[in-house]
Amino acid sequence: MRFSMLGPVFKQMFKKPWTNKFPAKYQPNNTTKYLADVASGKIKINPPVPTPDGFRGKIKYDKEKCIGCKLCIKVCPCNAIEFKENEKKIKVYLARCCFCSQCNDICPVSCLSMSDEFLLSDADPYSKDLIVE
Amino acid sequence: MSQITKTTYQLPIGPIHPALKEPVMFKFEIDGEKIIAVDVELGHVHRAIEWTGMRRNPIQIIYLAERICGICSFVHPMAYCRAVENACNIQVPERADYLRVVHGELERIASHLLWAGVAAHEIGFDTVLFLTWEMREKVLDLIEYLTGNRVTKAILMIGGVRRDIKPENIPKIKETLEYFKENYKKLSHVFLDDKTFKMRSQGCGILTYEDALRLCAVGPTTRASGVKKDVRVDQPYAAYSDLDVDYMTPDKRTGEINGDVYDRIIVRLLEVKQSIELIERAVDQMPTGDIMSEPKIPKLLNYIKKTAGEGIGRDEAPRGEVIHYIKFDGVNEQPFTWKVRASTYANILPWIPMLKGQQIADISIVAASTDPCMSCTNRVTIIDKNKKYMLDKEQLHKLSVEKTRRLMR
Amino acid sequence: MPEKKTKKKPAEKTVETPNKQLSPEEIVTYFKDKFTTKIKSAEIKKRATGSKKKEFVNIWMKIDKSIFKNFIEHLCNLTYPHLAVCSGNDLGNQIELVYSFSIYYGKHLQEISLNVGVEVPKSKPEIETICDWIPGALITEREKQEMLGIKIIGIPDSRRLFLPDDFPKNVYPWRKDEQTKKEIEKLYKNLHEGAKKK
Repeated sequence: MRFSMLGPVFKQMFKKPWTNKFPAKYQPNNTTKYLADVASGKIKINPPVPTPDGFRGKIKYDKEKCIGCKLCIKVCPCNAIEFKENEKKIKVYLARCCFCSQCNDICPVSCLSMSDEFLLSDADPYSKDLIVE
Repeated sequence: MSQITKTTYQLPIGPIHPALKEPVMFKFEIDGEKIIAVDVELGHVHRAIEWTGMRRNPIQIIYLAERICGICSFVHPMAYCRAVENACNIQVPERADYLRVVHGELERIASHLLWAGVAAHEIGFDTVLFLTWEMREKVLDLIEYLTGNRVTKAILMIGGVRRDIKPENIPKIKETLEYFKENYKKLSHVFLDDKTFKMRSQGCGILTYEDALRLCAVGPTTRASGVKKDVRVDQPYAAYSDLDVDYMTPDKRTGEINGDVYDRIIVRLLEVKQSIELIERAVDQMPTGDIMSEPKIPKLLNYIKKTAGEGIGRDEAPRGEVIHYIKFDGVNEQPFTWKVRASTYANILPWIPMLKGQQIADISIVAASTDPCMSCTNRVTIIDKNKKYMLDKEQLHKLSVEKTRRLMR
Repeated sequence: MPEKKTKKKPAEKTVETPNKQLSPEEIVTYFKDKFTTKIKSAEIKKRATGSKKKEFVNIWMKIDKSIFKNFIEHLCNLTYPHLAVCSGNDLGNQIELVYSFSIYYGKHLQEISLNVGVEVPKSKPEIETICDWIPGALITEREKQEMLGIKIIGIPDSRRLFLPDDFPKNVYPWRKDEQTKKEIEKLYKNLHEGAKKK
């Protein structure tokens, strides 16, 4: 058959777009201003596609529970975790984290967990948002 | 080839070229439009992964192996885990074997659909690209639902898998499988009956049965030439021995074997269908039980450290056989040797007979027809400017900490 | 069972090819009869998977370097093997090459993985090419040349495969001796200095 794609193409013309328009429905005139407005809470962004349960996002760390056993440092594949000697607590650099959640599995007191937060991009890899301690 | 009259010309394509999705360098000797000699150069995306692996502990390597290739992010850790299991004699629980099949086959569907889209794009049929990738998106959604991320699944562990499929997940799996079945019909109709595809792919890029055998080709490339070779059948791993898998060769559909690009399309599409059925069966037959042979990871690490031995792990990636070789000396935690053989590694030499005699315009579709994955193939070197963190662990960690402090000042 | 396909005509000594498929034990005895003490060790490992616990077979052999080429010839006459990969271990004074073949593919559960280990002395790391029997071995042989510094005698194409042209000669990244470690350290020391300048 010569034009086997014609049918699907015509159908597509009357369908809703597949893409979720994130973060804004239309391209803002001034992107920097738009982002600043979002940060100050004037405008709300168009929500992203929801993540499923068990999504591996930004690490959450319960400092009180941590016993400083260093097991997470031993298995971290990308050396993203640093041990703070005086406090006997850890510090996670998310810029290097590969979100494998191996540290969650090995932690004997379950003080680490994964949240569903994934909007983590930042110009500075050592910004406050990207360090969990 | 006569140098004096200069009847042939050299045509370099790559390392970066719009027709190639990943860096690889081809040097063609052409006579008019016809290719008479081919040379392939590799090594543009070396990341020293094996070298790095020999300096890490077995748990860290799982995630390193996952990053050998983005599309094969299940089969590489799988082959690695199987190599370790064989070397250290770890028995995988039955349920984990079935879960491995489900995830492996999901990856095969995602990879074959991605390839189908790229192949359509290479011949300039972009509407089909979007049709296939729409379907692929659903696969990735399901993978995300089951494993927690779209691409890097982080699902494997030595001696099992890390996440179970719970009873409440099954309706969503079934629903997606129904969607695949429905769309598969449309897709196979477009790919296998459309005149555009037949014109471009029939009789093009032929790999003969003899060449496929002699050049040790693997995967759909070799099966399209009629060589029955599929690790899932030959030497079944995980639960494939229970699930009754068969070789997918193009004669199942057309009744003949030509070994051309069209046959490779057929093989891949038949395998998508096979994978859908396999997942269905694996989910239905899944036994209950543990999913890990040793849930305590420090204990596992200690056991591996004390065990000396060597082993190979083989599995069937979407592109062909992947084989990992590992050796532990029983003293160090790090493996003594780790060798990765990705599937494209074996499919490079078959390119040469495939491309000879073809026209320049066919280069991209012929090259793409083996589903090349250069990142898989190129792994080993010492320096990569952007990835210097992969080198010596302690030293770099120190450097990294120093840099952190410097920047925080 | 795939047919025998040899590129060149078989060398002087042709082996009687048994048409029936040999069991793993028979393969080991076949080679032990041929080469007697030159087969240093042979081990059959069987492991099972799945809920039906069907077994698959790995054969591990260590052979002497002197019979290596002859061994490959016999293997090719027995059944045409698929060479998966050649891996290398640096054992100190010796370098061990492990050739992983798979034979008897094409039938459900019949395939056997045959791993053949050959040791070559580090002072004279030379081994003959098997490209004349299995042309597909070229890529992996070229890789062994650059990564372990094995000289493959008679290799049809001896260029580098993965390493860039400006990578220093006589440095073989997979070797584990002190000399290599020093050389490699030099390589990434320079890298860090370059990064600092920026």
